[in-house]
Amino acid sequence: MANKKTVDLVEEKAALMRRDVIEMGYAAGGRGAHFGPALSSIEIVAGLFFGIMNHDPKNPTMADRDRFVQSKGHACLAYYAALTETGYITREQMYTFKGDNSFLAGHPTRNMKYGIEVTSGSLGNGFAVACGMAKAAKIKSDDHKVYCLVGDGECNEGIIWEAAMNAAKYELDNLIAIVDRNGVQLAGTTKDIMDVDIEALWRAAGWDVVVVEGGNDASSVLEALQGMRDSSSGKPHVIIANTTKGKGISFMEGSLGWHARPMPQEFYEQAVAELENA
Amino acid sequence: MEIVKRPHVENFIEWSKDKPEVVVLTADLTNSSEVGKWRDTYPDRFFPMKMAEQNMMSFAAGLAREGYTPFIHTFAVFIYRRPYDQLAMSIAYPKLPVRFVAFLPGIATPGGVTHQAIEDVAIMRATPNMTVLETGDATEVESVLDVAHSVDGPVYIRMLRGEVPRLFPKAEPMRLDEVRVLSEGDDVTVLTAGITTEEAVRAAAPLAAAGVGMKHLHVSTHKPFGDPVVLDAILGARHGVITLENHTIIGGLGSAVAELMAENAIGKKLVRLGLQDTYAHGASQAYLMKEYGLDAPALVRAVEKLTGRATGITEPDLDAVRIEAVHSLAKAEAL
Repeated sequence: MANKKTVDLVEEKAALMRRDVIEMGYAAGGRGAHFGPALSSIEIVAGLFFGIMNHDPKNPTMADRDRFVQSKGHACLAYYAALTETGYITREQMYTFKGDNSFLAGHPTRNMKYGIEVTSGSLGNGFAVACGMAKAAKIKSDDHKVYCLVGDGECNEGIIWEAAMNAAKYELDNLIAIVDRNGVQLAGTTKDIMDVDIEALWRAAGWDVVVVEGGNDASSVLEALQGMRDSSSGKPHVIIANTTKGKGISFMEGSLGWHARPMPQEFYEQAVAELENA
Repeated sequence: MEIVKRPHVENFIEWSKDKPEVVVLTADLTNSSEVGKWRDTYPDRFFPMKMAEQNMMSFAAGLAREGYTPFIHTFAVFIYRRPYDQLAMSIAYPKLPVRFVAFLPGIATPGGVTHQAIEDVAIMRATPNMTVLETGDATEVESVLDVAHSVDGPVYIRMLRGEVPRLFPKAEPMRLDEVRVLSEGDDVTVLTAGITTEEAVRAAAPLAAAGVGMKHLHVSTHKPFGDPVVLDAILGARHGVITLENHTIIGGLGSAVAELMAENAIGKKLVRLGLQDTYAHGASQAYLMKEYGLDAPALVRAVEKLTGRATGITEPDLDAVRIEAVHSLAKAEAL
């Protein structure tokens, strides 16, 4: 069981991060933002940054830090929210999201000064980069872990399976992937687009697989992450977290339309009201 | 003329000895990329990546992020065609020190269009942060490693394998963004790279005997392309400039020279010899060079047209000065 204090902290931060997501997305105005895929992954990202990873916002290049690679780069709002709440970036910087000259682009752009490890957004690539980073740690006998957030839609990409098979071959048990299984990708539900048993695929590729039913429940997510972090089975680990697309905002939950779009004022006000009353 | 057998094999092993940061990745083309012995020598630094090039690119980026210098060894086509997105976004954009050792440039393979990298220089030149090199002989195969290693960022290398002639003295290594002047003359300036250099060298003596002055520059750095010697040579060419490249004429050496001439307002004629916006097909290197006009006779004909002067040079004349009797004909290697 995850420590109650940690669970409370992650829940508290997750709530703040949801609000950050809405604030950034609204501030982006007509440029729009990926709300749904950020909100589904909040507990995973919050769990990593506030409960699992060894990291120091004051020292983003600390050699033995755990690495976080957000391969589903379009969900960057969750990442930027975590960077804000941990103190890698200021609130003022947060509000520059998608602005001219902002370093917080619509997909993460590597910026070690502010804790962004890897450029991502071309789906699948970040995961393979994470595999390479995990291999490097193995070669050097470093103890840190590499955590990689992958989308369920992203698992359509061929490189995911090239990399997954390869990671198992290299026995990268310092690598923990988390699939944010929110069930909705850009053009439809993952079931409609490509109805495959990804658990079986990950297993076939040689990974330790655990399914978390409550992917938006801090306690369940933390428990799974701790289990995988502390396991040295010789296999890479994947947590398939069943989440809700757009979690926390009623009109976004499970919605195809709120995968990515601009947020008009009336929706912003409703979203804020819902979060404040949650 | 010395023909060196597989110059990369031993040279790369020796060169890597005191460089623990150097690691090698291949995609199921280990011996074909001349790193079988390297693997046996440094098994801990050799990573077979299966036939999965997309992952190989991004995985290499991950290694580079953590302080390693990956040398990806495979055929050129499997570097710039299949996994271009990963190459660009995981490696080139973040300017990581990954070295692409790209074999079978252009028509240097009978393997057919799937294995002939005929537009790689164009694509790699167009890729920001990328340095683009091409080896033309055994000395360059040996010295390109130092050149690549001196670059802070990704480097694409058109590499030669198998039997490679030594055109340049061992004591004169490849240098970044420096051309070699192989002959002097003020009628035409000819620029070549890679395996086409040997062709222009064959033509040099007969052209001189026919009274045609050819300034011949050998190019081993496609990008950056800033050696002032090139501009001087173009300015000094009475009748014009000819490029001869083992590549499509669009986007490669011919284009680089055209850009340079236009940017410097040089109103001279430029003839681009190479693949004329076409794919090739599977055949021996010598056959294809003749078919597509990449050989010494094609160059002589282009010189005649440009200067308006018949040289009387025949194909047997050029065969007579073939720098190594069988070399160019004996290249019909398997994959």
